[in-house]
This record gives sequence, structure tokens and C-alpha cells, in this order.
Amino acid sequence: MHVALKCFATLSRFTPADAEAFAVTPGETAGGLAERLGIPMADLKLVFVNGEHVELNAQLKDGDRVGLFPAVGGG
Amino acid sequence: MPALLDLDEHIRRLARPEALPGGGECLMLSMEATLELARSLGRSRTKHLPLARVELAALNLGIAPERYLRNFSTYSYAEQARLLSSRLALVGLGGLGGLVLELLARAGVGQISAADGDEFAPSNLNRQFLCTRRSICGYKAAAAAARVALVNPAVAFEPVAVFLDEELMGRFLTGAELAVDALGGLNDRPALLRQAAAAGIPLVTAAVAGQAGFVATVLPGAKGPADFFGAGGEAAENTLGTPAPAVATAAAIMAAEAINILAGRKPGLAGAMLVFDLETMSFERVSL
Repeated sequence: MHVALKCFATLSRFTPADAEAFAVTPGETAGGLAERLGIPMADLKLVFVNGEHVELNAQLKDGDRVGLFPAVGGG
Repeated sequence: MPALLDLDEHIRRLARPEALPGGGECLMLSMEATLELARSLGRSRTKHLPLARVELAALNLGIAPERYLRNFSTYSYAEQARLLSSRLALVGLGGLGGLVLELLARAGVGQISAADGDEFAPSNLNRQFLCTRRSICGYKAAAAAARVALVNPAVAFEPVAVFLDEELMGRFLTGAELAVDALGGLNDRPALLRQAAAAGIPLVTAAVAGQAGFVATVLPGAKGPADFFGAGGEAAENTLGTPAPAVATAAAIMAAEAINILAGRKPGLAGAMLVFDLETMSFERVSL
């Protein structure tokens, strides 16, 4: 199964080449996915799945759109 | 000087039919006539400046003040009048705040208080519209006051050249219908979120890092982005900077949402964030 992945701002450097159809294992969580990408957990502040904010332990499903957001404060 | 009760009559007499680009016509009060009537009114004890009083009276008569002609019919006369009667508290006059102020002054938000204790530095020139070769090294609040006076003298503008701590934020928000968080960095945002909730008013907030950013509306008591980002941590803009297009994008969306709320419409982003990335040109609305 695959998810569409978008890593924002400073997390974009962790974007895998196949982000638009990134393979995940059944039962894999949003936090597990971020960890596998090498994203330091302290830098990951918000996770969105299909336009909804979710916790790190949310399990991913085939076809999910996943967005990962760091702390952003610039003005 | 016309007596107050005569104002409506003077407006009716000076109003002229104006052809609309889309066909049809409306009654319009020219800018010149608006200024002339305002001068004859003089100052009063009402919260509105004379210019705003004339504009409000015209709108109540179904007559369009010329300067707002191209706001119609996106905003109705009643909504335009509501904007002129509204009161906004804007915190931060940097990249986001300077442009939000410009857009809301042009929109005719009647009373705006804006706070920023900072002075302009050369590194502000890339994105902060109020920062020019002339205003550099001066107070941001002073440049803001000068700009509002140039753009729309109907706006009663209160500049506050002070960095607000949480207690001052609470006082600053008193009497406002809406708070706008145009702060820079993460540190002061949670306090502003708390104080807007304590004041019982919505908060429109935004931030940018590189080409990415977000805009959100937080209703009193609800969670906002600052609850997740916290204060004092490392922020993405420290690495990626704050280029003008992303800042201006966020500011324009903030202004549109502020007008929604001040005009009495439903906020478009309550409990949600509009997340954008100008590198990939993607916009997504996500709920918090």
C-alpha cells in the first residue's frame, strides 16, 4: 500500500524520491513513517492525514495523503 | 457647518449617478464631496473620524462612497458599513502586519490599533512593505501611522510602539472584535492565543518559512497552531528565511479572513489551517 507524502518547509529535505506514491507497511503509523524518513521527532509538530490533524500513532491506510509540518513562525 | 441631522440631506444632494462597469448604475458620493462634508463636520465625541461618519451615513442611505466603489458587490453596503464601524487589534507590523494593515486600511476597517516595538533594519527590506530607504531605522509603528494616513484617512489608527508582554496584550485587545497575530517567531504567539481567548475574540494567525506557510483562524477556547508549535523551540524560518511572495500570500489571506469576520460573515478558516507551498504551488485546507 502507498501514501502521498508532503513534507513542508525544513522537513522537505526528508522528502523521498517516490513521495507521491510512497510504500508503507500495513499497520504503519504516521510517527513510524516520519521516523523511517529520518525526521527528528522534536522537529515534527503537526501531522495531517487527508486534511485532518492526527496524532503520531494514527495508522495509515492505502491512498492516504500525509502532510508533515515543522514549527513555522516567520513573519 | 451643517447640523448633524442635515448630513443625510447634504449627502443626498451631492450624490451622483455612476455607471457601473458591469452595467446599471448606482448613486455615488465622490471622494471630493466626502472630504468636503467631513471638513464641515469637524471632530465630535463619537468613535468615528468625520470622514468615516460621512462614509457611514452615505452607506446607510444606499450611496456608495467613491473610494469603496470597486469593493461592491463583493461586500454589500451593509457589510462595508460594518467594516467602517469595526475595531481590529493587530499585533506585529513586520512582513505580515505591514501588508495586512495596508489591505485592511484600504478595505475601510474603521478602527485599527497596531502594536510593534521594533525598528526597521536592512534585513526587513526584502519583504516588509512599510520598510523603505526612508523609513529604515525608524519605528515600524510610526511608518504604519504615516502609511494609513496616506492610504485611508477615514481609519482611526492607533500606533503602539511597544513590544507587548502577555499582560499588555490583554489590555491591548480590550474592545477589539478581532485579533490578528502578525508576530514573528514562535515565542510570543502562545501568549497572544491565550489573551485572545481570554478576551473572547477570534484570532487570525499566520506564519511563513521559505516558500511555505499557513493561515488559520482560532475561535476563543479552540486550539491554534501555536499550541502545537510551542514557544522557544527551533523555527523553520531560521533556516529558510522569509521571502516576500510567501509573506504577501499569507498576509493577503489573513486580510481576506479578517474582512470576513469584521463584516459579520462566517470565518472561512475557523478550526482550520490553509497550508500553502509556493514552490509546488499547492494549497490545502486542513482541520486542527
